[in-house]
Amino acid sequence: MRKNPSLRCLLALAILCLTSLVHSQEIGSPGDPQNLKCVTHNLRKMVCTWDVSSRRRHGQTDFCYTTNAHPLTECFKTKEKRVEIPVPESSTTIKITTNSISGTPFATREFEIRKKDISFIPLAPHILSLTPDFPTSTLTLKWSDNGSIFPYGLDAFWQIEILRKETMEKVTQVTYYSKLTHEDIILSWNWTSDMPLECTSHYVKIRCFINITQFVGHKDWSDWSPVEVSPGKDTEPHGSGVFPQDTVVAVGSDVTICCVHEEGQQIKRMTYGPEVYPLIRLSSRSSAIRVLNASASDTSGTNVVCSLSEDGMDGTVLFVGYTPDIPQNLSCETSNFELIKCTWKPGRPSGLYGKRGTKYSLFERISGKNVSCEVNEMNKERVCGFPVLGDQKTYNFLLGVSNPIGQTEASLLVDISQRVHPKTPEKLTVSGNSSTSVHLRWFINGSFTEIRLLCQIEISNGHSEQKLHNVSMPGGKSSTYTAQLNTLHPYTKYWFRVRCSAADHFWRWSDWSRIEEHTTLEAPPARGPDIWRERSPSGKSLKIFWKPLSLSEANGKIVSHEVSCYLLEKPLEYKEVTEPSNSTEIKLGRNDCVVSVIAKNHAGSSPPSRITTVELPSDNVKTDRAVAMGNGIYISWNSYPNMTCGYIVKWCHSSGSEPCSVDWQKFPSNTTDAVIKSALFRPGVRYNFSLYGCKSSGYQLLKNITGYTKELPPKRAPNFTVEETSSDSILVKWEDMPIEDCQGFLEGYRLSFAKGEKDALKPRLLESGNPELKVKNITDLTKKSLKILDLQGKTSYQLDLQAYTAGGLSPPNSLYVVTKEDSVGLIIAVLIPVAVVVLLGVVASIFCYRKREWIKETFYPEIPNPENSKALQFQKNICEGNKTLKTLEMNPCTPNSVEVVETRSAAPKIEDTEMMSPAADTVVPEDGSDSETENHVVVSYCPPIIEEEISNPPMDESVGSSQVVYIDIQSMYQPQIKPEEESEIDLVTTAGYKPQMQLPISALKIESCSPAEEESDKTAGYRPQANTNAWNMDTPDSPGSVESNNENASFGSPCSINSRQFLLPPKDDEDSPKPSNIGWSFTHFFQNKPND
Amino acid sequence: MAAADTPSARTLRRHDLCSRGIRLARKMRSDVADLLDIYVERQGLDASVSVAAVEGVPAAAAEHWSEQTGTQRLLDNLAAYRAFRALLAQMLEEQREQLGDADAALGRALAAVLLQVSAFAYHLEELLELESRGPPGDDGDGPPAPPRLSLFEQKLRGLGVLRELAQWAVRSVRDLRQLARPSPGPSSAPGMAEGQ
Repeated sequence: MRKNPSLRCLLALAILCLTSLVHSQEIGSPGDPQNLKCVTHNLRKMVCTWDVSSRRRHGQTDFCYTTNAHPLTECFKTKEKRVEIPVPESSTTIKITTNSISGTPFATREFEIRKKDISFIPLAPHILSLTPDFPTSTLTLKWSDNGSIFPYGLDAFWQIEILRKETMEKVTQVTYYSKLTHEDIILSWNWTSDMPLECTSHYVKIRCFINITQFVGHKDWSDWSPVEVSPGKDTEPHGSGVFPQDTVVAVGSDVTICCVHEEGQQIKRMTYGPEVYPLIRLSSRSSAIRVLNASASDTSGTNVVCSLSEDGMDGTVLFVGYTPDIPQNLSCETSNFELIKCTWKPGRPSGLYGKRGTKYSLFERISGKNVSCEVNEMNKERVCGFPVLGDQKTYNFLLGVSNPIGQTEASLLVDISQRVHPKTPEKLTVSGNSSTSVHLRWFINGSFTEIRLLCQIEISNGHSEQKLHNVSMPGGKSSTYTAQLNTLHPYTKYWFRVRCSAADHFWRWSDWSRIEEHTTLEAPPARGPDIWRERSPSGKSLKIFWKPLSLSEANGKIVSHEVSCYLLEKPLEYKEVTEPSNSTEIKLGRNDCVVSVIAKNHAGSSPPSRITTVELPSDNVKTDRAVAMGNGIYISWNSYPNMTCGYIVKWCHSSGSEPCSVDWQKFPSNTTDAVIKSALFRPGVRYNFSLYGCKSSGYQLLKNITGYTKELPPKRAPNFTVEETSSDSILVKWEDMPIEDCQGFLEGYRLSFAKGEKDALKPRLLESGNPELKVKNITDLTKKSLKILDLQGKTSYQLDLQAYTAGGLSPPNSLYVVTKEDSVGLIIAVLIPVAVVVLLGVVASIFCYRKREWIKETFYPEIPNPENSKALQFQKNICEGNKTLKTLEMNPCTPNSVEVVETRSAAPKIEDTEMMSPAADTVVPEDGSDSETENHVVVSYCPPIIEEEISNPPMDESVGSSQVVYIDIQSMYQPQIKPEEESEIDLVTTAGYKPQMQLPISALKIESCSPAEEESDKTAGYRPQANTNAWNMDTPDSPGSVESNNENASFGSPCSINSRQFLLPPKDDEDSPKPSNIGWSFTHFFQNKPND
Repeated sequence: MAAADTPSARTLRRHDLCSRGIRLARKMRSDVADLLDIYVERQGLDASVSVAAVEGVPAAAAEHWSEQTGTQRLLDNLAAYRAFRALLAQMLEEQREQLGDADAALGRALAAVLLQVSAFAYHLEELLELESRGPPGDDGDGPPAPPRLSLFEQKLRGLGVLRELAQWAVRSVRDLRQLARPSPGPSSAPGMAEGQ
């Protein structure tokens, strides 16, 4: 029982009924009032109703009731079985007397109604209004809660039911909660339909339940209110359309779209975009489609088309998009303290444009000012301007974002003085009248009076890196700003540009201004040029060299050099050398002096550079080798303590035929090594360096150094010759190589040799991988010859000589030498065979002498024995038909048979056609089955001899021919034939050979010199499947002829069908007669090749 | 000026105007055809959809076309192109309202055709002035504003406008050819004479 709640409910109901009966003190007699029920709707009054059990007609009813609170009984008469009396505090006693029509009471009954016996059922609510909002498909329901009749604070539950379509299908039922406030409140409830309200009628009804906890009696829901209807368009006489009209929905929504049409029309189909959807019938004039999980529409929306009968059409456009994304990277700054520019990225596009696009508004919370933002939907970054407000520095922005689907926002708190992004400086000008300073001016639009500006000037020239120079200055209102730049280099072209930012709270640099160019003025050269001097070999003149000053030292364009020579402050020589010369020569004789060189430009002269001409004597000057290091040459020297003013390394660059140009490098006196680098150094070129020490009295040559930046293999091998050759040795000698060809320090020679003939096609000795190759390495550079020993006599040798440096081996120089003959061996080789022959001759002579009688008897008898004579054997063999003895064969010309078949008149045409057609070859029967219809004529012919050349027979002639000639060409090779086999062979050849062509019988004059004997299988194998036309037309030297020549082999025929000459005799038949004709033609030339 | 008023000069002038007008109409026909393709694609419409006659859109078809006088032809053309000018301007405005900057290509194409229609209407006015007829007054508003249409109806109306404009461009070529045809007599075309 515990487990069955329905049973428990039934039991409770039964107990309740029994209790009610007991409490009513029902005294069951016929005609008595019974089933007294009291229901209150407002807790103050209650309506009591009862039944009368008898069907007997009765008159008025006396109704009396007494409550505990008021002991006085109140009575009244009523004709109905329903009275309204106050709700008692605790209980009331009711006495109902039923009177007859005449007024005589006939039944009286008393009831005691206690409070818990009274039911509380509110009155059905009354719907005040049901308002449809078609664009949003929303129904707004309004009703009064009648709260004034109830105590304050009661909980009220409102059950609302929505129905739709003509059949009033329940769509939804919701419960709405409210609290009664002892006042009549109009309640309102909205419901958004998933189907446009125009599609069909929607109905609404409502009922309520008031939960009064103090009431002990039974409480129940009120009755349903009368149904309120929101009529659909399908109820209007001419209502039609597709709904919803031009609506925006979110991506992923489920959308119902309906088509309402006029009476009599039919919907053929409804499409959403390109797709046709199944129709859901709503009413006789309305159907709908349901689009699930709608995807984003195109910019112009998705068309929904309702195709109606009689070519009618209606439609709507649905926009499916996204709610606006939260703005990203919201940032606000000012460029002029007049307008705050806020930028942000819109995030995911909403897919909605135009009036449905995302709207932005900028709300400033502190000032309460709001601005609407005009944004370009196509820009990736959105911009909105907000005016700078008076003294306000801090701004609390709220960026509101909304579209028809939803809205969002982003906020930003900024101190605008810390978000200054000045505009690009304009009107930059550079002026200056100095070689080292310039004056810059620029203009920035905007009011920066309350901040300091930091401006950055970029200074660049073509040579050094860009430099940045920062200048801080008080801001102004749309002012011009200036800056002075010093420490510039004279005579230098500079490029300047400027950008600015706030100095105190850096936020962002402005864009760079345009670049302005300026060249500083010239200044005198900063120092004198680097100089060197060299006496001429004769010692009478002195050549003075100087190096050009660098741009940074020249301070302008050098126009000349002033060269003078002083001896004890007395000028001996003076010269002004104009650019671009960097050396000069002065005649000094044997004198010495101090040379002074001054560089001059338009602004002035440099300090003088001085050098003495005194060359101190040096003895025992050594020459060392330098070491290559990277792209330079490393040289080192010992420290010379008495060299007080440093060292000079001098070298010379030579390029081609020009005299070498002197170069030098100076080093301080504490230096003992250096890497000499020069862009002019080339690998494989030997450089000679001279190290000079500098003393106060002059310069002294300390040592010479030679070196390469990189050693290369020698350009070529040394020239070498063979000086002497013997039977087992070769002496070779070679020459010295010029230094230019060595391209490095020569380390040795390599001589390779092996047996070998001079043959251009043979690989080189060093590349051949010859196992007999021998190599001799000569590291002694003074050695200029080498004797190669242990060679073979009278043998050709190949010798390769190469030189090598640290850079590698040179290409080889080759020689071929044949060693001399070994004379002893030769003598032995001649004498032994001679001796053997002589010995054999002596032995044979002795033998012949001793056996001379036997020899005579055997070889030269006086009476010859016929049986031993080979020359007479033919008389015996001729009877046996021996084929081996051809010289004495005397075969008569035996006629062979040729079968001439006369065909019927109709046949040639067909055969003509077939002949012309390659396919016809296969049509001609090969078994001779049609021979029954032909006349066989046997003619004689001699295959090898052709008396008359056959001209090319035109095809039309062959068409008219009535004869077909079957030539047994194979049989031409038969030298003999047995008479008894003749008929059989004839039959076989006739059956086996069917040339698929026609020749006019008149054109054939063939003689058969000897009947041929042929094996049947060979005869049967011949099928010339060629077009006679082609044979005749082609000349032998034409490509076609060559081809046909090749094809002869496939014919299996020794004869050319064209010439009817022998082409190829059967190879296996050695005895077949050679063709006797000797007439020469091109055809013979190609077809009768010997050994073909 | 005196030479310009001679019949031969007027004939030459008319012939020149007609030739230029024909070129304009042909170009317009070609551009409208392209615009129709773009329009149908961008508005998601079916190119084969049949659009009922749209209110306010003048029809190019004429029942007794061959019997029309030259002036009548010009007046019909002018009325049509003035109507198209208003309709295209409205389409352009609706396009901007609905799509904003999203479909600039369609907006540009529409604006280009609107410009050509305006130019052609001006050209027709010149022709009418040449015939001493003078163009009728243009109220500037075109046809009365149609009732507020749904977006789908706007799309269809736009399609109807462009299709009819294409038809009109063809008809205009024929009309101008007819006008340019040399008159049999020494005076101007008979059609023109009637119109005067």
